[in-house]
Amino acid sequence: MVKITIDGQQVEVKEGLTILKAAESIGIEIPHLCFHPAFPPEGSCRLCLVEIEGRPKLELACSTIVQEGMNIYTQSERVREARQVVLELLLAEHPPDCPICDKAGDCHLQDYYEEHGLFDSHFWENKERRAKKVPLGKNLILDRERCILCTRCVRFLKEITRTGELGVFQRGIHSEIDYFPGQPVNNNYSGNLAELCPVGAITDKDFRFQTRSWFLVSKPTICPHCSRACSIYIDFHPGFPRIELDKYVYRLRARENPEINDYWICDFGRYNYSYLEKNRVVSVLVNRDGQLQEDEWDKQIELLGKKLKELYLKKRTNRIGVILHSALTNEELYLAKKIFREDLPEVNLYLIDPPEGKGDNWLLTSSRTPNLKGMELIGLNPQKFPPENGFNELEMMIIFAYHPLGDGHYAQLKSVLEEVPFSVLFTAHQTTLMNQVTVVLPALLLAEKEGSVINVEGKLQQFKAALHPPGNAHSEGEALLAIGRNLGINFSFYRNMRSTADILGKLSQDISFFEGQSD
Amino acid sequence: MAKKEKYLTGLFGLENLHEIEVYLQNGGYEAAKKAVKSMKPEEILKEVKAANLRGRGGAGFPAGVKWGFVPPTADKPKYLCVNADEGEPGTFKDKYIMSHNPHLLLEGIIITSYCVGIHQAFIYIRGEYEMIARRLEKAIDEAKTKGFLGKNIFGSQFALEVVVHRGAGAYICGEETALLESLEGKRGHPRLKPPFPASVGLFQCPTVINNVETIANVPFIIARGAEWFTQMGLPQDGGTRIFGVSGPVKKPGIYELPLGTSLRELIFNHAGGMLEGKELKAVIPGGMSAPILTADEIDISLDFESLKNAGSMLGSGAVIVIDKETSMLDVLQVVTKFYAHESCGQCTPCRVGVSWINKIVQRMAAGQGSPEDLETISRLASAIMGKTLCPLGDAAAMPILGIVEKFKDELLAQMGH
Repeated sequence: MVKITIDGQQVEVKEGLTILKAAESIGIEIPHLCFHPAFPPEGSCRLCLVEIEGRPKLELACSTIVQEGMNIYTQSERVREARQVVLELLLAEHPPDCPICDKAGDCHLQDYYEEHGLFDSHFWENKERRAKKVPLGKNLILDRERCILCTRCVRFLKEITRTGELGVFQRGIHSEIDYFPGQPVNNNYSGNLAELCPVGAITDKDFRFQTRSWFLVSKPTICPHCSRACSIYIDFHPGFPRIELDKYVYRLRARENPEINDYWICDFGRYNYSYLEKNRVVSVLVNRDGQLQEDEWDKQIELLGKKLKELYLKKRTNRIGVILHSALTNEELYLAKKIFREDLPEVNLYLIDPPEGKGDNWLLTSSRTPNLKGMELIGLNPQKFPPENGFNELEMMIIFAYHPLGDGHYAQLKSVLEEVPFSVLFTAHQTTLMNQVTVVLPALLLAEKEGSVINVEGKLQQFKAALHPPGNAHSEGEALLAIGRNLGINFSFYRNMRSTADILGKLSQDISFFEGQSD
Repeated sequence: MAKKEKYLTGLFGLENLHEIEVYLQNGGYEAAKKAVKSMKPEEILKEVKAANLRGRGGAGFPAGVKWGFVPPTADKPKYLCVNADEGEPGTFKDKYIMSHNPHLLLEGIIITSYCVGIHQAFIYIRGEYEMIARRLEKAIDEAKTKGFLGKNIFGSQFALEVVVHRGAGAYICGEETALLESLEGKRGHPRLKPPFPASVGLFQCPTVINNVETIANVPFIIARGAEWFTQMGLPQDGGTRIFGVSGPVKKPGIYELPLGTSLRELIFNHAGGMLEGKELKAVIPGGMSAPILTADEIDISLDFESLKNAGSMLGSGAVIVIDKETSMLDVLQVVTKFYAHESCGQCTPCRVGVSWINKIVQRMAAGQGSPEDLETISRLASAIMGKTLCPLGDAAAMPILGIVEKFKDELLAQMGH
């Protein structure tokens, strides 16, 4: 530990910390642009200069290591002046086009000007004219006039993805970011550059000119598109009175999580978000003579419970087939285990997941569901589908379907369903299966659920619902809980499960892996 | 008499001095032989420290102290980089040393490397010095044939290779850490310090970086001793300096003089005074980055401390003489254009600040200036001072501030105020 004084405040901080981090630890924010915690300090923006007693020059907070007895001033006259000059210089060549800039509202330069700048411009010269829309790759546009040359983008590609597509070209005031010839930024992490850019120089083609950032509400959730289960934010637009928007979710962003994804997410996860709104099933549908008719959730759940109970009483539960997927939460899978493994004996459990894709040896895994590990640990042990030994004759089929990016993997079910007299489909998205089943129950996506998943590395993450459920959709967990209660085989168990926390609590008692993992 | 000796340049002009046989006939490589065969590295370091050999590149940092920063034992290789990227406007002394007497530099490299425990040295030479680069390469081959470089130097266990690397024309690559980046094959951007090159330098290994003239002094310190060296100049500032005089003087060129010679003496005695009909107005005493001195300020001793106290610096010893007919606005324009052009663009104050000043000055030169512009220039230059990533910011700001302060009236008059 080292004793230092920052702005008159005496503190003890860990040895080896930079002044920036030491100040941060006691809630003093030192403005910075080129520094990003994922990279070693660069020291080029010169915004984080602070005064250290006994040193003639101002020193960089981002790279200077604290030493015993250091007396640091982050708000002195000299520091504020130096800060103001850096901002004045950056803004001298930066276009004041905030009103049409996608970064406005999220922009560090804009914020710092408000906080530390507020000077009148003395720059009467002509600003450099530069290219305003340089495509850097399939997802990114660079505005060179807005660029402040912090080189975060260059360093990300050099040090994190190690693909090195970008560099600084030319010199002095003509310095500019560009990709090396024939090497645009098309790696699977390109979208991070738009987030990393502290100003509006690199913007995301997907988000450009779509909305203003201050209209958006950010909610934390988990990316469900692979088994890494990265922490993300969903940014959605709550809408205006009397104005219909054609979109609800506008973008996904990485949410800092040093355990799993640091500050990054992959492009596959980032740009595949239209599934949250497109082709959703929003009402309960019952197939009557080839026609899908709307019905009530409670009624159909009750009916399902009744049918299950009948088979249970007739000791024909081996005629029940249940198809699961591993995008269900731990809590849901645990309830499924309780009902289909413990309450009802000999039920045939199968697993159908979206087909594997290509992993990228970093965040993106080949499996495309977030809770494969959770399913394994909970011990449901579903069979592969179709099973090697063929089927018993099934009297009932319950399908928990998951097909956010295409339902091709359920094609194999069609011939089986023709033979089954009663079938129920839980699905969040429309599918051709809907015409083949008896009842369709609208289900939820991970972003609309509360619960937990375990990622490929065995890290448990809990989350709350980020988005409201659409229409009459309910979570699979809610359905399972109702079914369990309606069956009444182990009524007291289900009666005590009042929240996802209750379920996870019980799960933790049952399965040692979960013990002490939840918060 | 000893005080007048030109030990560095005395042999210049001798026919074929750049060839090893001629150099040997004139006592060449004796110092290296003495060092490698009969001295311990610690003894050499002690001698160089005692000699107060200050860096000749510009900053004047004591060479012995710099060498002493290199960890004596390291699990990594150590490197020597000779900075021959002579880019400071007005400076042309290293060019003379390397073209006239390349073996003197090699001899200095051998002693330095032996002292610090280095087995690989680089000469980073500016790209324009093509003939000199070839001459150095030839000299290296000759020295190798003689057993002065390569393995078992002078029959000892000491081994050393020297490689000549040509720069590509950027002023910034003369800054030591930008030089290292460039040598590693990267864009010549200065590094954030600390760590300093002595601990983390070329390819992340401990590295000594010295100017050509600094290294060329080393053989003389070894041959004649630190005491002789300090007597040559000033006690805290030993040896001679090679001053390069340019401008409207009768005899522009290089002059090797002991440190402590007065600027007036250099211009009016050695360089022969002003050309007929020209009158002295100002002098830039140490390369373009050194703040300007007026004609009244030239009775000053040419050494690091005296010039520092006068608000300027000895720098690279390049003395640029300016006469009365030269417009200071033109001078200012040349200065700002140069630094705006040569700013690497990495840090904000230098990239935007110097370019902004240059834009103002160019506007002033086009007859569109106003008195407030001078205030803006001074404010910006002061804001750049001491706040940039590398010394280039100061190098640009100092001469600009000097000119604007000392020639304010002339600049205002030229703008019609």
